[in-house]
Amino acid sequence: MASLADVDKHRVTAVLVSHNGAVWLPEVVAALTSQTRPIDLITAVDTGSKDASTKLLKSARIPFFTTNSETGFGQAVSLAVDKLPQSVDHEWIWLIHDDCAPAPTALAELLSAINDRPQVVMVGPKLLGWHDRTHLLEAGISIAGNGARWTGLEPLEYDQGQHDGIHDVLSVSTAGALIRRDVFEELGGFDQNLTLFRDDVDFGWRARTAGHTVIVATGAVAFHAQASATERRTIDVKGAFLHRPLLLDRRNAAYVMLANSSWWMLPWIALQLFGSAVVRALGYLLAKLPGYASDEILAFTTLILRPGMILEARKVRKKQKFVSARVVATYIPPRWSQFRLGTERLVELVRGRVFPENTFVSTSILDSVEDEDLLTPVDTKNWLSIFKRPEVLGFISIAIITLVNSRNRFGALVGGALPSSPSGATDLWRFYFESWHQVGLGSSLATPPWVAIIAIASLVVLGKVQFFITIFFLIAPLLMMWSCFYLLKKLTSNTWISIPAALLYALSPVALASISSGHIATLVLLIAAPIVALILHDWWSIEIYSWRKIFSVSLLFSLLYAFTLMSFIIALVAAIAISVDNYREFALTLDKKLFDVRILKRSALVFVPFFVNAPYSLEALVNPSRFLTEPGLLIPGGGSLPVLFGNPGGTGSVPLWLVSPILLILAISLFSSTHARRIAEYGLGALTLAVFVGSLSISAHGNEGVAKVWTGPVLSIATLAAVAAGSVMLDSLRQTLVLSHVHYRHVLSALLLLVTGFYAILAVGYSVTAGADSAVQANRATVMPAFLSVESDTKILVLREIGSAQDKKIQYYISRGKDISLGEPDIAPKQNVEIASAARALIDGTGITSSKVLGDYGIEYVFAKSPFKKEIIRSIDGLGGFTRTSATSLGVVWRVSQPTSRLLFINEAGVRSALKAEEFSGRTFVPSAGTLILTESSNRSWQVLQNGFRLTRVNNEMGLPTFTVTEAGEISLIHDGTVRRGWLSLQVIFLTIVIVMALPAGRRKREISEKELA
Amino acid sequence: MKLIRPLKFLAVLLSVVGISSVLSVAVTTKSFSESYPVVVCPPTLDGLGSQISFSSKKTQFQRLQNRTSETAQVKVLRLPVNKDSLIITSEEVTPVVWQSRSGSWAGGGLCMGPASSQWFVGGTADVTTRGRLILVNSGLSDAVVDVESFTENGKQPLRTVNVSSKNYIVISIDSLAPGDKTLTVHVVPRSGRINAFMIDEQGKGLKALGGDLVNPAAAGSKTVVIPAIPNQSSRNTPALPHTLRVLAPGDVDASITVEVLSGDGVFVPVGLNSRSVSAGIVTEFKLDPNITSNVMAVRISSTEPIVAAVKSTAVVQGKKDFVWSTAAPGLVRLTMAITGLDPFISFAGESIDVSLDVTLTNGKVVQEKVTGSDIANWRVPTNARSFTITKVGAGTFAGALVSSINGYGYFPIAAGSLLTKIEVPDSNIRVLNP
Repeated sequence: MASLADVDKHRVTAVLVSHNGAVWLPEVVAALTSQTRPIDLITAVDTGSKDASTKLLKSARIPFFTTNSETGFGQAVSLAVDKLPQSVDHEWIWLIHDDCAPAPTALAELLSAINDRPQVVMVGPKLLGWHDRTHLLEAGISIAGNGARWTGLEPLEYDQGQHDGIHDVLSVSTAGALIRRDVFEELGGFDQNLTLFRDDVDFGWRARTAGHTVIVATGAVAFHAQASATERRTIDVKGAFLHRPLLLDRRNAAYVMLANSSWWMLPWIALQLFGSAVVRALGYLLAKLPGYASDEILAFTTLILRPGMILEARKVRKKQKFVSARVVATYIPPRWSQFRLGTERLVELVRGRVFPENTFVSTSILDSVEDEDLLTPVDTKNWLSIFKRPEVLGFISIAIITLVNSRNRFGALVGGALPSSPSGATDLWRFYFESWHQVGLGSSLATPPWVAIIAIASLVVLGKVQFFITIFFLIAPLLMMWSCFYLLKKLTSNTWISIPAALLYALSPVALASISSGHIATLVLLIAAPIVALILHDWWSIEIYSWRKIFSVSLLFSLLYAFTLMSFIIALVAAIAISVDNYREFALTLDKKLFDVRILKRSALVFVPFFVNAPYSLEALVNPSRFLTEPGLLIPGGGSLPVLFGNPGGTGSVPLWLVSPILLILAISLFSSTHARRIAEYGLGALTLAVFVGSLSISAHGNEGVAKVWTGPVLSIATLAAVAAGSVMLDSLRQTLVLSHVHYRHVLSALLLLVTGFYAILAVGYSVTAGADSAVQANRATVMPAFLSVESDTKILVLREIGSAQDKKIQYYISRGKDISLGEPDIAPKQNVEIASAARALIDGTGITSSKVLGDYGIEYVFAKSPFKKEIIRSIDGLGGFTRTSATSLGVVWRVSQPTSRLLFINEAGVRSALKAEEFSGRTFVPSAGTLILTESSNRSWQVLQNGFRLTRVNNEMGLPTFTVTEAGEISLIHDGTVRRGWLSLQVIFLTIVIVMALPAGRRKREISEKELA
Repeated sequence: MKLIRPLKFLAVLLSVVGISSVLSVAVTTKSFSESYPVVVCPPTLDGLGSQISFSSKKTQFQRLQNRTSETAQVKVLRLPVNKDSLIITSEEVTPVVWQSRSGSWAGGGLCMGPASSQWFVGGTADVTTRGRLILVNSGLSDAVVDVESFTENGKQPLRTVNVSSKNYIVISIDSLAPGDKTLTVHVVPRSGRINAFMIDEQGKGLKALGGDLVNPAAAGSKTVVIPAIPNQSSRNTPALPHTLRVLAPGDVDASITVEVLSGDGVFVPVGLNSRSVSAGIVTEFKLDPNITSNVMAVRISSTEPIVAAVKSTAVVQGKKDFVWSTAAPGLVRLTMAITGLDPFISFAGESIDVSLDVTLTNGKVVQEKVTGSDIANWRVPTNARSFTITKVGAGTFAGALVSSINGYGYFPIAAGSLLTKIEVPDSNIRVLNP
């Protein structure tokens, strides 16, 4: 400690500024009067307090004067200093906030620190929390490049003396700062434009560039409530737009940066300030703090709109500057340290969530008695005993069954409803974003969102989509079992019930059929359904769910809707059914508010995901069959009868003799006196819906014919309900049966167990034998021969016999030289009538004009995939206009004789020629004036530009876009994707809103308790 | 009371099952287009004469070289053809073509739809032959045809021939296997609508040895029935000789047993029981059964698919001719136009029960019934324009023998144009998925 003689050479005048600080002022006054080194003079300024501040000052006998409430801190200090007697040597001004209480030795320590440092003009104490006095608030401050207030401390850092000492800093807080009066006056005091916040940094910066030194002396301690910054009091100062502290703080931060930085740094600084403001605003939006978000943007905008103020400030600083601005560079935190601190905070946040603090209180070793330790039997658990646990046995069983069942599915999967996957996720992204799809005659339908989801999900395997699909099909049964087990754990504590039940769920007919037939959506639903059931177990009383939870579940629903809109139908039907029940209750209770809340929340849950999936979902309103489809090819279901027994039927389904106990369980559970009854009602409702849906036939996804609807998604719900109801029933069954006389329950239970056991054995047997020969298989040969893919984007009419040997059917489609890929069936256009007629005539031998029609539509080849009826091949041979170009084991290929291409040109003499055109947009040369025909489906977005002008587009009699070319020259063919981009933007906006609503909300500072703050 | 709610649920489920059954209208997943392909008759080569029998004067026809789709009515019931091959829209009726060289030979054949495989068991490639193989492309695209030849020396090099659209080419059969005596030709179109016809004509110097149209068989079979073989004989002269020509086209030798079916009974001629036929080598057996019937049939059972025909010598008005009796497919319901031919039809089969409607030239329809076992013969009324087989049992085969002033001929009773039922295709992107 410095000697008293040394201290005495200084004269200290404390300037206390108060504004509605009655809460803290008594302690502040007490702190000032109890200083070990007495203050020479105390003066106070009250800036229009409306509380008891002035009374307190008066009773403390501190001389003070009052100004209006718009007076800023700096202005108040200047007014106080102006009223002081003439300055003397070694006179210091000690700035005291009304919410800052210095420790008794604070002043003595501050003076001690400056004693041997004549160059120091500003010294500040270590600031600790007002409530938590071990919480280190500041030990010197600076400002980051993006305007952030920089203390270099971690949030809620505990003060253990780790920052103690006397350090050079850019600045110190005005709370408790000791400033040499002569320098204060020389620099003009605090900048009057900084009414509150950042005036300290600005002053420190100016002091530094004026050649002075600023230090922090941590021996001096002050306790600061930070009332203004933490919104404990209203900001009334002049220029505090909307009285928002954050806005004022950010504005002032930007002001400080722009007023003090070098000229050449200004653009970069401005960019940094704006960029960080936007990022922070987004962060606040995510935290549902739009006020703070607007503060960030407004702060920068309001400042940048007044450049004159900044120019004036820079002029003043230029006059005061005596050393290079570089002197402050060492005090500006480097960007990497900001990044490091941000990362550390994020990691800490995640760590806190993942590994919550252990509240276990360890027992002191002093409490143990060594003798007792010797008597305690050693815990000698045999690790092999883990294999006796049902969880382990169950999951090992499903893993083995799945591995054996998947023996033909190790590789790139294709078959059934599943088209081949592109090799990389970028292909999926391209497909998702593009406005025009080269499928069939071309399609502008919106790509379903599940394509984007698969693309994102495949990132876990570095974007290898094929590998991801293989892995997904391989682990799907395990995931199903896990999610079902997760649900059943809440319904029964008996794992010997929940594990077999979960195993049965993973081996249910719908699960086996989905894997065999490549129905991705049903698999996703089977995995997600138990989680949804768990989250929405209080679906009836939905009013208890917070809006945040509603939006969280909406996100999950969005995922399910993205895969199949049948989940929307399920949700809608369930919502309507429950709402009817709610209405009955409303009719009795007349609680309209409750009823309205339920309807509103349920509607949000059902319809918000629908809009998140726009435009795909909205297009379904025009094509209602989309509500009943799954991703991929339209594979017919088995109709109502198999569905009644939980079997979706159709390709890849388990044989009908493998009758599952789903219907039986649901029927028996209906009569149960347990919770199983309620579950069974949901299950039976789903089964009823499935039976109805299964009886419908639709035409969609590039299939001209009608096919029975695949009911997998609805059956997933019925299956889950059956498994859950059965588990609940069995949970207490043994005890009930033992205690009761033999009656129908015993018989039903025996029957149920017998059928279930029988099914389980047969399902496992089927799964590991015939079940492996599924429609979905790995590494199948492609349909299209490689030599037809050489010419890019060549349209080929493919004829093929589809079906089993007993039931073959000739079908056709237009290929673009390759097999179809993931997502393409979903956006496949309806077949053109004229092409359909030409193809039919081609096959029945009457197609004399087929060649012309196909040529007119730009179809260059006809490919009959082997094996194919030889009679038809001969028939095509006999038709004019086709030239056989190859006949290999893969099939027979004919070239359409007339010149044709994607882009046809007919000159004024009527001579037709084929022009070269790239896949989407491309440039090509037109030899003369004439008519340009694009052999793609008609779409408004097709445009041809020549010499910067758009050519007139009309549809010809075949519905193909036709353009009138007036002169020879280069043309550009483009498909304008503005509409698609607009829809995608809208989708992103919808999704962002839902994510923001689902995220935990941030709190305003005024909402944070003082204890938490400091 | 607590049972009411569960029962309501079950009732709703059952109701929906019932409604679904009603709603679930049987979805017709297949629709068919039925048609009879047009049939093609052989061209009339130089020096020959042709007549084609029709059942209706309104039958539409088109000359092969005509590239338009226009057709014309024949306007007669028997149309003489000077040169061109004709394409006839005869629907379910099979026209019969009768070709002859004046004073030398005659032979009958069927006008047929395009075939994917035709076996011609007949002809020779030695110096005596004047035989020709005619390949007709009735399609609008050029055709590629493989011609495989087999002789007593085995399989000959494959010959691939291009036939331009709406045209025909004539190949001398001696060029297929020069010098070889026994010939069997397999015509396989690789592309195009192809019909093949074979004329086996022989002569020695200026002396004509006869000729015939060799009718094709579609494919080899383990049981081959040749239902009508002329067996001319008299009390004073021995029966004229027959030769059985057999080829096992596969890779494995065949063991054959030949049964002769005639009015004298059914028997296996001496030496024709379990005879081995080397694969790919055309083998001939002498067939001289000692029978009194004028017509006989042959049934050949083989361990491997074979093709076979019997060459018979016939004398017409003192002139020698030969006839190639070829295998006939199982008899089905069909209509055959035979105006002016007066064929003698021989049915072969274990139990023959055939009902026929004979349409006379005056339009009258006469019903006939032919029954018997092993073999039954029936002569078509002289003024018949066509006959329709309305009912026939399984395992019945039939062939027709026709005698004219120019010679003797044979044709199998088979449908030249079968009803083609082609499924109307659907557009389905599934075809692009493996």
